[in-house]
Amino acid sequence: MVKDARIAQIGFLLLFLLLGLSSRDWTIRPELLATVGISCLGTQWLTRNLIPRWRGQGAGPWWGVPGWQSAVITALGLCLLLRGNHAGTMALAGSGAIASKSLFRIQDKHFFNPANFGIILALVLTPDAWVSPGQWGTQAWYFLLFIAAGGIVLRWVGRWDTSMVFLGTYGALEAIRTVLLGWTVDVYFHKLMSGSLLLFALFMVTDPRSIPNAKQARWIWAGAIAWLTFLLQEQLFISTGMFWALFFLAPLTPLLDFLWSAPRFTWQSLGRGFSLKPLN
Amino acid sequence: MKMQLNGIGKKAIALLLAVFLCLGLTPSALAFCGFFVAQIDANLFNEASQVIIVRDGDRTVLTMANDYQGAAEDFALVVPVPVLLEEDQVNVGDPAVLQRLDEYSAPRLVEYFDSNPCHPPRPRAAPMPAPAMMEMDAGAVAESDRSLGVTIEAEFSVGEYDILILSAQESTGLETWLRQNNYRIPTGASAVLQPYIRQNFKFFVAKVNLEEFKAGESQNLRPLMMAYESPRFMLPIRLGMLNAQGEQDLIIYLITRNGQVELTNYRTVKIPSEFDVPEFVQDEFPDFYQAAFQKAYERERKEVGFLEYAWDMSWCDPCAANPLTPDELRKAGVFWLGETSANQRRPNPPGGGAVDAFITRLHVRYGRDRFPEDLAFQTTGNRQIFQGRYIIRRPYRGEMKCDAAADYRAQVRDRQEREANQLVSVTGWSKTDVFRKIDWFTEPSQPRPWWRNLWDRR
Repeated sequence: MVKDARIAQIGFLLLFLLLGLSSRDWTIRPELLATVGISCLGTQWLTRNLIPRWRGQGAGPWWGVPGWQSAVITALGLCLLLRGNHAGTMALAGSGAIASKSLFRIQDKHFFNPANFGIILALVLTPDAWVSPGQWGTQAWYFLLFIAAGGIVLRWVGRWDTSMVFLGTYGALEAIRTVLLGWTVDVYFHKLMSGSLLLFALFMVTDPRSIPNAKQARWIWAGAIAWLTFLLQEQLFISTGMFWALFFLAPLTPLLDFLWSAPRFTWQSLGRGFSLKPLN
Repeated sequence: MKMQLNGIGKKAIALLLAVFLCLGLTPSALAFCGFFVAQIDANLFNEASQVIIVRDGDRTVLTMANDYQGAAEDFALVVPVPVLLEEDQVNVGDPAVLQRLDEYSAPRLVEYFDSNPCHPPRPRAAPMPAPAMMEMDAGAVAESDRSLGVTIEAEFSVGEYDILILSAQESTGLETWLRQNNYRIPTGASAVLQPYIRQNFKFFVAKVNLEEFKAGESQNLRPLMMAYESPRFMLPIRLGMLNAQGEQDLIIYLITRNGQVELTNYRTVKIPSEFDVPEFVQDEFPDFYQAAFQKAYERERKEVGFLEYAWDMSWCDPCAANPLTPDELRKAGVFWLGETSANQRRPNPPGGGAVDAFITRLHVRYGRDRFPEDLAFQTTGNRQIFQGRYIIRRPYRGEMKCDAAADYRAQVRDRQEREANQLVSVTGWSKTDVFRKIDWFTEPSQPRPWWRNLWDRR
């Protein structure tokens, strides 16, 4: 029995990566995947073990990587989404993603989604990074797989509502646009069946550690991201609009947490009924 | 179907070039070389439209090849365009450039010759030569129109074409206007025109000016080119699906400075490439490629765009045709060559050499049911090269008198069988036919009894 939602998430992301590599014609170079993995875990080790140890706060063995599950999730997210030509680009994204958790904190909570931060960092700072929104296609089989896998993880962490608000808002805005422009309904479904959109909605917008704690705050937040995504994609024709929307609106998290207070999410709080060691 | 390959001069150049490249290679690098023997061309696919899109930032040059076969007076073209075009933004192109692009980027067949197994060549260890560089020489608005909500924004002639740029308020008005002005548009057009009108697209409408056409030297209608700036990187395909039956082929040559272009709302999939094929494929290469394409298209559920070529335009290996010269690239719409403005990222080296252009050739076979949306693209930093390349390995058929010959024969037999099976799986051709057409190296013999190995007898 898997006792940590993050392990389930790692399993699903790994499955998606293997599926993508084997059946979606991706040409991903293994050395770039390794670079992402090493840079994420290395930075996690640096920020969660070495630096605290240097400050005299460390505990556990020197080689331990506290919170390695989160670093692996970030690494898998980057492997699934980010493409580049050079190892340096991937290393920048991996280490930047993990470092953002320590650098951008308000009241001891990070507000950027680490993988999203890494993607934006690589897109802005390097000439060779890109994200392929069309890489999953629009096949129903993948749609069901993502929904099922996302459903399991999100029910577990209690963030199913966030995905639904995001998809509902985005779907409604696209529906209004389709009706106003007079496109046929298959155009609408083709847009919404995008595997990339679904993965984003189920596995990126819902990171329980960086999004607002209170339910109402999460709804407003997810709705705002959906609206900005729609605006960037349909008005400014930026095909990677969702990543930019999440990046720009992530700093709203501390504000929303201030307005609606709720207990902060911890992975350990999910473990009731199981004997779990504290992880981070 | 048309084949225009075996021009002797072109073939000779290609052969010379391939020889030149091969001589300097280490044996392990040989896989990326070979003698160019054949290519397919875009005309192979019935009714394949060809489009060139050159893009850098928001700047776009779109060239539409005109493969129209009917009477010139019946020709009419209606294309939604994202911006209002003025006269000097429209031009006629050179059809030869499209053909050059096609030849340069077409899937290709190469061949290698086995050496005599009794006299194996010494390994060559010279460094790989620099990539082969080719020479680099350098209005009046009528009242009725207004009532239909149609405005003629611009009206001008370019080459043999009379061009109108229309804007419209309602699709039914536009449909009526087009009919009143003798454009035969298919029924149901207004439903498809409407989304474009509401997104503030303009309509580029072209007709042939018969006097100009007859006075001109060209027998065929030339490609139409338009240059504009728009954040939309897309190609409208919905209008074209109205009057076409079934599936259509579209070949898009996308030229950028950064790297590959991919579709953002459909998957971009590489065509099957880089495998050995039996020798007889040389005579049937167009059929082979068509069958392989169709098989891949069906395997991908008819809903993807295929990548046929992605290459830095400074070179090619092997070359199906020489890379385009800077002059030809300019004719294809590459507007940044020779630019010296401050926003130029990579300067063009003086005196030719590397040229700052990366080509992506996409082949999209689309039907109304699987391609509901217009094609949307994005430029990526991906500079990985790719080509449709198929390899014939010619066995050594001369006299062989040595112990190694028996092993060699067995190897070639195995290889031929592998090639045959691969061909069957890639094309869906009948196994019997494929096996019958192969010039088997040795006569098919009875399987070697297992006891001979035990006694170690030949």
